[in-house]
Amino acid sequence: MTETRTLDTGSVPERFARGWHCLGLERDFTDGKPHAVQAFGGKLVVWADSQGELHVLDGYCRHMGGDLTQGTVKGDEVACPFHDWRWGGDGKCKAIPYARRVPLRARTHRYESVVRNGQLLIWHDPEGSEADLEALPPVLEGVGTDKYTEWTWNVIPVENAHCREIIDNVVDMAHFFYIHFAFPTNFRNVFEGDKATQFMESTGRPDMKAQGYGDEDLILKSEATYYGPSYMINWLDTDYKGFLTKVILINCHVPTGPNSFNLQYGLVVEKPEGVDEETADYIGRRYAEMFGEGFMQDVNIWLNKAPVQNPLLCEEDGPVYQLRRWYEQFYVDKADIEPEMVERFEFEVDTTKANENWRAEVAENLARKEAEDREAEKAKA
Amino acid sequence: MAYIVPSSPETLADRELYTRSRLVEVACLDCLVRVKVRKNSDHHTSIQWNQEAGDCATFAELSRREGGRPVHQACPRLLASIEAAVREGVVPIGAGVDPIETSDG
Repeated sequence: MTETRTLDTGSVPERFARGWHCLGLERDFTDGKPHAVQAFGGKLVVWADSQGELHVLDGYCRHMGGDLTQGTVKGDEVACPFHDWRWGGDGKCKAIPYARRVPLRARTHRYESVVRNGQLLIWHDPEGSEADLEALPPVLEGVGTDKYTEWTWNVIPVENAHCREIIDNVVDMAHFFYIHFAFPTNFRNVFEGDKATQFMESTGRPDMKAQGYGDEDLILKSEATYYGPSYMINWLDTDYKGFLTKVILINCHVPTGPNSFNLQYGLVVEKPEGVDEETADYIGRRYAEMFGEGFMQDVNIWLNKAPVQNPLLCEEDGPVYQLRRWYEQFYVDKADIEPEMVERFEFEVDTTKANENWRAEVAENLARKEAEDREAEKAKA
Repeated sequence: MAYIVPSSPETLADRELYTRSRLVEVACLDCLVRVKVRKNSDHHTSIQWNQEAGDCATFAELSRREGGRPVHQACPRLLASIEAAVREGVVPIGAGVDPIETSDG
C-alpha cells in the first residue's frame, strides 16, 4: 500500500532575496514630495532632489525614529517631520537646523538605485554588497519613445503568501488552462545564471470566448525572463486573424514581510501602424485590465492555498524543483551559491496528452452550452 | 539557515529524485558538449548542463551577435544529438522519476 503524502509547509524565510527590486515608475516619484514604499519588512522613503534624481533611504529617521515619508523635501534633502533633521541621498545627515554640528555617526541605510526603462530599481542585499550593475534588467529599445505607449502601472498587495508562489508560475504549464483559460501548446523553460525563462505558445479557449478569453484564432507567443529574484520582462506577441500586437509586460514584486509582497505589473504596447495615439492607449489599457484579471486569478489561489515545500509532480508538470533550486541562489550568502543553482537547465513540457484531453473538455463544454442555449430558446418560445 | 530551503529529509529525497534521477549523459555530435538528459516521452526533454559540460558553439555564436534577447533557447544541434542518442537506445524514453509499482508490492 502506498502511504498518503503530507505537505511539508516549510518555514517562513528569515531573509529577503538579494537582487534588484523595482519600486515603481520614475514619474510617480518626481512630484517633489517624499513617498513611502513598503519593502523588506519595513518602510522606505523615496524622493527626487532638485535635479530630479531619485533617492531611496530607510523610512525612519536615525535621530528619534520619525517617519521620513511624512516629512518634506527641502532642497536636495528629505526633512524629518519630528525635528527637521535633513537627510541626503547618500544616507548622511546634512543638517540639523537647531544644532551647532551634525554627529559624525548620523548615517542611515541607503539603497543604491537606478532608473531603467522609466522604472526605479533598488539593490537589496542582506550581506550589504555593492550593487551589481551587471544584474540589471536590459534596456528596452524604443520604450519611452513614440514607438510605444506610456507605461501602465498597477499594484496588488498580497497579504498572506510568500513571493515564491509567483515565481512558481514560471514552470506551471497546466495552470494556464485552469486559472487563466488559455491553451498552452508549446511550453519550455531555460534557467541559467541569475535568469529564469519561460517560452510559451498558446491559443484562447473557445469555451471561454464569451468571458473575453479569445478563441483558437488568438495565437499568443510569450517569452518571459526573470532577471534576478523579482523582476520579469514578458514579451508577448499576439496574432488575431492577422492583427499583430506586441506587448511588453513587466511582472515584478517587492517582499513587504516574511509572508507578504506587493505584486506590481505594467505594460507598454508597440503602437501598431496606422493606429492613432488614443486607440493605441486604449489597447494598452485593455491589455492592462486583462492581465490585471489574470493576476487576480493567481492571487485568489495563493491566498487560499497551503505553502508546499514538497510538491508531488506528474510527468506533464514543469520543473518545479529545478526552478526552486535556481531561486535559492538569491536567499543564500553569495559565497554559498552552489554550482547547480546557476548551471544551465532546459526543459520542454510534453503538452500532447494535455491538449488531447483539454480539447475534449472544451468540446464538451461547448456542446453543453449549446444544449442549454437551445433549452432557453424553447422556454422563451 | 532555513529560509525557503527544504526542511525535511523526505523533501530532500524528493528533490534528489526530481532533479538527479535517471539522467543519461549525451555528447553533442558537433561540438562535444556533454549534458545530462532525461526523456519522459517523445516530446519531453530535460537537459542539465554543468561546469564540465564545455561550451556550446551555437550559443557562443548567438552571444556574439548584437541585439537579441540574452537567453538562448535549446541548441538545435544538441537536440539533434539527443534524438540520435534516443534512436540508438542510449537515452530511454518513458517512465518519469516516480517509483514503479511492482506486482508483489
